Amino acid sequence: MLLYLGIEEKIFKYELAVANQEGRKPMKKHLSTIILLVLLLAASLCSLFLGVLEMNVSGLLSGNLEQIETLLISRLPRLLAIICTGIGLSVAGLIMQQLCMNKFVSPSTGATISSAQLGILVALLFMPNSTLWSRAFFAFIAAIIGTWLFVWFIQKITFKEAVMVPLIGIMFGNVIGGITSFLSYKYEMTQALSTWLVGSFSSILRGQYELVYLTVPLVIIAFIFANHFNIVGMGKDFSQNLGVSYNTVLFMGLTIAAVLTASVVVVVGAISYIGLIVPNLIAMFKGDKIEGTLIDTALFGALFVLVCDMIGRTVIAPYELPIELIVGILGSILFIGLLFYRLKNGRKSIRLGSANNNTSCCNCTPKLEEN
Amino acid sequence: MNKAIYANRKKLLSLFILVLLASALYMLVEVNFANEKLFNYAMKIRTPKLIVMLIAAFAIGGASIVFQSIINNTIVTPCLLGMNSLYSLIHTAVVFFVGSGSVLAVNANLSFVVDLLLMGLIATIIYSYLFKKTNHNVLYVLLIGTVLTSFFTSIQTTLTRVMDPNEYDTLLTSLVASFNNINSEIIVLSLVLLAALIFWLRKDLALLDVITLGKHQAINLGVDYDRCIRRLLLGVTLCIAVATAMVGPISFLGLIIANLSRQLLKTYRHSQLILGSTFFGMIVLVGGQMIVEHIFTYSVPISVFITVSGGLYFLYLLLKNRRA
Amino acid sequence: MMKINNLIKKYGEKTVVNDVSFEIPKGKVISMIGPNGAGKSTVMGMISRLIEPDTGHVEFHGQKLHHWKSKELSKKLAILTQSNNIQMKLTVRELVTFGRFPYCGGRTTKEDEQIIDKAISYMELDEFEDRFIDELSGGQRQRAYIAMVIAQDTEYVLLDEPTNNLDIYHATNLMKTVRKLCDELGKTVILVLHEINYAAFYSDYICAFVNGEIAKFGTVEEIMTKETLSDIYKVDFEIMNIHGKPLSIYY
Repeated sequence: MLLYLGIEEKIFKYELAVANQEGRKPMKKHLSTIILLVLLLAASLCSLFLGVLEMNVSGLLSGNLEQIETLLISRLPRLLAIICTGIGLSVAGLIMQQLCMNKFVSPSTGATISSAQLGILVALLFMPNSTLWSRAFFAFIAAIIGTWLFVWFIQKITFKEAVMVPLIGIMFGNVIGGITSFLSYKYEMTQALSTWLVGSFSSILRGQYELVYLTVPLVIIAFIFANHFNIVGMGKDFSQNLGVSYNTVLFMGLTIAAVLTASVVVVVGAISYIGLIVPNLIAMFKGDKIEGTLIDTALFGALFVLVCDMIGRTVIAPYELPIELIVGILGSILFIGLLFYRLKNGRKSIRLGSANNNTSCCNCTPKLEEN
Repeated sequence: MNKAIYANRKKLLSLFILVLLASALYMLVEVNFANEKLFNYAMKIRTPKLIVMLIAAFAIGGASIVFQSIINNTIVTPCLLGMNSLYSLIHTAVVFFVGSGSVLAVNANLSFVVDLLLMGLIATIIYSYLFKKTNHNVLYVLLIGTVLTSFFTSIQTTLTRVMDPNEYDTLLTSLVASFNNINSEIIVLSLVLLAALIFWLRKDLALLDVITLGKHQAINLGVDYDRCIRRLLLGVTLCIAVATAMVGPISFLGLIIANLSRQLLKTYRHSQLILGSTFFGMIVLVGGQMIVEHIFTYSVPISVFITVSGGLYFLYLLLKNRRA
Repeated sequence: MMKINNLIKKYGEKTVVNDVSFEIPKGKVISMIGPNGAGKSTVMGMISRLIEPDTGHVEFHGQKLHHWKSKELSKKLAILTQSNNIQMKLTVRELVTFGRFPYCGGRTTKEDEQIIDKAISYMELDEFEDRFIDELSGGQRQRAYIAMVIAQDTEYVLLDEPTNNLDIYHATNLMKTVRKLCDELGKTVILVLHEINYAAFYSDYICAFVNGEIAKFGTVEEIMTKETLSDIYKVDFEIMNIHGKPLSIYY
């Protein structure tokens, strides 16, 4: 059904790139970015004043030490972690989708998250007293290897149907996740590992989350190389023709995506749908040229995670639901909706905006609760 | 042709003997024969567990084969599409809405019946809609199915957390059965139910061989296709509900045993395929549980092994199918 | 006896079949021809109850088609569609045996077995009898399906593009078989064909479709004229007379 998808996507991407450069008025081009930015700021403020401990503007201004402490130790770190998470995962998804020429690829459908978890487990096993940074190191290595392996695999076997790729990715993730569960059961690490299986911001405090700041320089690098990723996304021949080293850029891009993902997993745990849904939604409206969509994708990702987090904190206040659950529910509904839309409209959606294939799944987290 | 049937009967017989062997081993391995009290104790623990596993194997094995045949694809199973997580969700939701102290939550059999009714209704609606909406495009169905799995699981976990954030872990284990926490209270009811189901569907099951030929051929040969499919789908749903209620969700088991059965028997005859799948399921579950209990001393649950091997097997099937 | 009354079928906005009525002469071979997308196969589907018409109905032996019990109907009317892909391990003989299903359920009698044997020889499949369907070539598979329809032994036989995937030898032999089914066994055969000359040479009546409507229905001689065919297909035709049958050349 999706025969020759690769070629057609290439052509249409090229058309889009041209359309983006010529057609859009500068004001309209930035409008979405400005709206998203305003929304994100508003939501951030709301988020700061949401919580069990009392905190309000007058208290902060009058120098109430307790309230300032709450702000600095708990609320602000949490907010920053959320924003970095949203940015990191959605940009990682964007890069992976672009490089693999497939809208279905993302950290959760490309074995990246499950590999990072396996890396953390290995760190816990071999270095019981490991610090956040050493665990992160293992997670980086594992995530990079896992993603490379997966991409190598799907490139080696070119698929007729675009949906095959996420299916393979999900199963890849399942197998890696299964190995993780096996090891964690075997060495009685399930309790320790559970933190990294279900993403949650509840334990974010000052001093334990700063690793997510790594997303900032990585996203900046991604922005600088945005055009390279675009070109590589159009294929090996295409990039060679333009003098871009295909393999170098591919590996660099995947490495950035993997490190982005892994740094989030190490701090907050697995969050599945962001890297998939967000880039697709943005691409539907803004097309596929990374330079034009990267900032919007990042902002929208942050907004999405922030809203999900606020929902998670209000539903059963004073307790809170792990963000992975909220994202799991909202994300799967969104995804199925997008998939049905695509099935109904086929390639028509390409003309409207661009993103036509959307997918996801958070199945790659090992099912520890099944025991 | 008759030779093939005869050969298959022989294969099935050998499988059955293996099932008996596995069951006997499971019952008797490392049992203290000398001490009557200990012996009785072991039997008391192991008998219901064995029965539950055998029933679950039958329910999953049968349901998987039937499901594969009605949608005419061998890499899809009902559990892969999230039917078992749907059941877990329904069960949790029922307890959630009636309260954990009510009759429904306390009486296992009663709540099982209520769950089944809801499951039959909801699953039929959701999955008929899913197949219709995707025009039976199997890859899409699979993809949406995997998403539904995470969707149902997320809601179910959320409900559990909302019910009692402090007792979350204990609540979760009491709500969802697993191999270390089997639900043996409903053995009798399940057996009655499965028997009734087979009786009710006996004619539709006999039609399965014809349904294998595809919708148009089946109608051509005088099958009331839509009605038959609806009834069979309902049967599949209820079988999955029974299995999930007893041993919890195990996604890949059906995939493995149904395909092993097809590979070994190489036939379209569903009576044989279902038997083969059931026997394979029994061997995998009983043998696997034996290994888990005596080699890993309960540390690693059997579902982990099934997930890893099932995942690899699924990848293999996807790639094999692609080439064909 | 089969009568088709005012059939209409729409898919979304598009009207695929628009107010089609005609009567099928009993004991004859009727071919439906027409360009792609003219609605031939859809009409075939509605005649055979595989497709539900939006309005209108098909009358079969004095009773509306959808009032028939599916099982009874399957003893009187057999349909072979274009797409037949099964994933199951099934031998040719097993497939043909399914043709007897409406009569015997799953258990074949000696008589059934004889009919099956005959159907297999009819289609020259004896040597493939124990081969699996999915190991055969497209043409061999097609013949196996036709053998199944023959084994079904119905008054009416509906074949949707049966010559697809067949080489000249097998296609021609199939058409001869169709003729024999009609002449020797008195069956009514309705075909959808793309090859006009097969329709001209082997059928009694031709029903030509254009844009979901019947352009013309009549005997072979009535349809096979230069003007009619050019009208239907929008290309130039010449008609030649070979063995007393009008055959066409198009260019």
